[in-house]
Amino acid sequence: MLPLLLALQPWSHACAQANNESQLKAAYLVNFLKYVDWPEATPTATICLFGRDTLGGYLAPYEARSIAGRELRIRRVTGPDQMGDCQLLFIPDSEEARYGAVLRWVERLPVLTVSDAEIFTRHGGAIALVRAEGRLQFDINVVAVGAAGLKPSSQLMRLARVVVGATK
Amino acid sequence: MNKIFKHAALLVAFQIGGATQGWCADVVEELSLEDLTKTEITSVARKTQNLASVPAAAFVISSDDVARSGALALPDVLRMVPGIEVAQIDNGRYAVTARGFNGRFANKLQVLVDGRSIYHQTFSGVMWEHDVIALNDIERIEVIRGPGAAIWGVNAVNGVINIISKHSAQQSGGFVETTIGTQGKLGLYGRYGGVLDENTTWRASVQGRHAEPSKQFATGADSEDHQESSLLDMRLDHRLGGGSDLAVWFNATRSVLGDLIRVPALPGGVLAENSRQSDASQVLAGRYRWLTAAGIESSLQLSLNSSSIELEKYFREERKTYDLDYQGRYTFAAHDLLWGISHRTSSSSAQTPGSLISLRNYDVAQRTSGIFVQDDWTLIPEKLQLGLGVRWDNTNIGGSTFAPSATLIWTPSRVDTLWAKYARAPRMPSQGENNVTMLTNFQPGMPSVFTRVIPDTRTLRAEKMEGLELGYRTQLSSGFNVDASVYRYRYSDRISSTLGAVDASGFPTVIQNVNICNCSAGWVSGAELSADWQVLPVWRLQLSYAWTRIQMDEAADAAVQADSKHTEQSTPHHHGSLRSQWNIAPDRQFDAWLRASGGYQRINAPYTDLTKVSGYLTLDLRYAQKIGKDLELVLSGRNLIGPSRIEYVSDYVASVPVKVGPSVFLSTRWKF
Repeated sequence: MLPLLLALQPWSHACAQANNESQLKAAYLVNFLKYVDWPEATPTATICLFGRDTLGGYLAPYEARSIAGRELRIRRVTGPDQMGDCQLLFIPDSEEARYGAVLRWVERLPVLTVSDAEIFTRHGGAIALVRAEGRLQFDINVVAVGAAGLKPSSQLMRLARVVVGATK
Repeated sequence: MNKIFKHAALLVAFQIGGATQGWCADVVEELSLEDLTKTEITSVARKTQNLASVPAAAFVISSDDVARSGALALPDVLRMVPGIEVAQIDNGRYAVTARGFNGRFANKLQVLVDGRSIYHQTFSGVMWEHDVIALNDIERIEVIRGPGAAIWGVNAVNGVINIISKHSAQQSGGFVETTIGTQGKLGLYGRYGGVLDENTTWRASVQGRHAEPSKQFATGADSEDHQESSLLDMRLDHRLGGGSDLAVWFNATRSVLGDLIRVPALPGGVLAENSRQSDASQVLAGRYRWLTAAGIESSLQLSLNSSSIELEKYFREERKTYDLDYQGRYTFAAHDLLWGISHRTSSSSAQTPGSLISLRNYDVAQRTSGIFVQDDWTLIPEKLQLGLGVRWDNTNIGGSTFAPSATLIWTPSRVDTLWAKYARAPRMPSQGENNVTMLTNFQPGMPSVFTRVIPDTRTLRAEKMEGLELGYRTQLSSGFNVDASVYRYRYSDRISSTLGAVDASGFPTVIQNVNICNCSAGWVSGAELSADWQVLPVWRLQLSYAWTRIQMDEAADAAVQADSKHTEQSTPHHHGSLRSQWNIAPDRQFDAWLRASGGYQRINAPYTDLTKVSGYLTLDLRYAQKIGKDLELVLSGRNLIGPSRIEYVSDYVASVPVKVGPSVFLSTRWKF
């Protein structure tokens, strides 16, 4: 078995090199659904994508899969009236000018907001995906997660690069 | 161990299945949150992914790209963009254009800093010798080649450059950078940022630059381009809650840059006169963004700018500009609607000591109002989008202009984007073109015949361009993006000049009058390519290449024909660059940048003969080493290979050409 594994090592290395940032972001979004508790158990978990679509294609393979016992759905949203049944809302950093506005739309809704803009958590967003040390990591704003009525798991908190609002 | 087996199982599945694509994606899909935080990113920067749905030849320069360019001045950073032509004139002066028609005052490129235009109305162009913003304060630069007038208004003919500063929340703490280099170059930058309360952050930065004169290209003697410049820049950001925020900027710059100007001298000679250009500018700007209950997002921006410019012995101007700009955005159903209204009043008063230049109107107030609407309409979700936009502007000098645009963007797969764009764009004649009478040049063989440019008795009309652009963007692999575009544009009512009456009253000196007119037209065609390849997780290559060709119409008037010929000859057909960014270790970077341009010819003012500007290939290198967590040393060299050269021959103001040659810099960057 060991020689086989060693023989495979270059391949597995080559594969590790093909980690497209968008693929990783998509994988993060799906994973977050496993590490956060929503107040209401729904049969489906919906990831909503706001604005200019950068991840839709990368999320497509996950659609209809079962994530933490719920069927995953992907939906594009453009306005405040469409946010009602989103569990997770992704706002790409290209929509920087609008995230203040979008965050207001989901205020007090049980929606986990995620962006790949570094300053998102400091602007009241829940999770920011951040490029650091050649990897994709995430910052979490516990105040924002709590205000949405969501419960992050301790593992999520432990893996975060920065926890915003933890001491308050 | 469990994980290794999972990998092995997937690999076996892959080999049995014979699939050659997508198996890595499967692996990523299986990763846990912990694995994800440990996985290295190997794709090219996110900027290229965000551009995937932009229906234009767009290019984004990130703050990291700015730092790794090794450039000390903003125009040198822009050299990495395909289709942007940059030529250094001397220590501080540059000629920068997009897609042809370069000039010291290249007049078809609109440049904005945080939404505020820095296009100078007298010279119609950007004075790059000003430090409009410190390089360390730039968040990103968005460059859109091709017409942008449907949104950005008049003068956004061949391109728009949006320079966006960092949010003050990203710049808390202190930072100092010192630079010392050859040719007596010194640079100092300092910044401090803080938090006032949980909703309010601020930062202030200062920058000073100094350079000793360059060497004249012809003689090797010192030129006069001694440079001193200083900059103070402050930004305050305040979050108001409910999705609204407020940003306030204050910016003050002062610069002095010497010049050696070749002027026609009586009787029939050329005199190289020392001059000095002193500029100052203060800007106060504020932006308020808010959201209505109906979901309409709005942004209101006001800026006040007071500036002065003095070309010692020739020209002095004081200017005050008030700018008010509103933009709204509303998304509903398949529509993304953007609209705006703006007003600008710019008043200037000028003086012209000496006899070379005179003005028709010394005090001018230019008022421009504009309105635009743009809708991006998704025809087939994820596949096809149609964009329609139109803008109308009215200026009290020059009248009304109308700029429509239409784009179609097709994304047949998640990695391919094709787009087509039709647009029309106007350029308003500058106050210089409308107002200035100037003794400019003379024939080499006839030193006693001067040329005197005089404004048309009628008001000049806006120049027009109309054209089509096609583009294709694709991701060949997760780490390899390619972007290509082709375009063909028609220019009409372009400003040129015809021969007027001969004034022989000062015999033996004869003055040939030349009248400015909207009398030239032509075509510009081009192709641009950029490729971005993450070869290894620690090594990235970026290529850019542009081909440009200008074909002006044959003109019956000899002067118009001569100007048209010169316009064709003064654009290099090829230019491009290849950048390599290598992260040797987490604390060490080594970057290399090969740059090349084809040759071209320019009028050797004040003569009318042509000077050849040779093509070149040169190399920049940069090595950065971190010492501890907060200190970094950077050694960089520019123009390291090839002979010393001229990159440009100044047209508008006939500065003596200076050598562009090798230079070396050492910087220390300290964070506290």
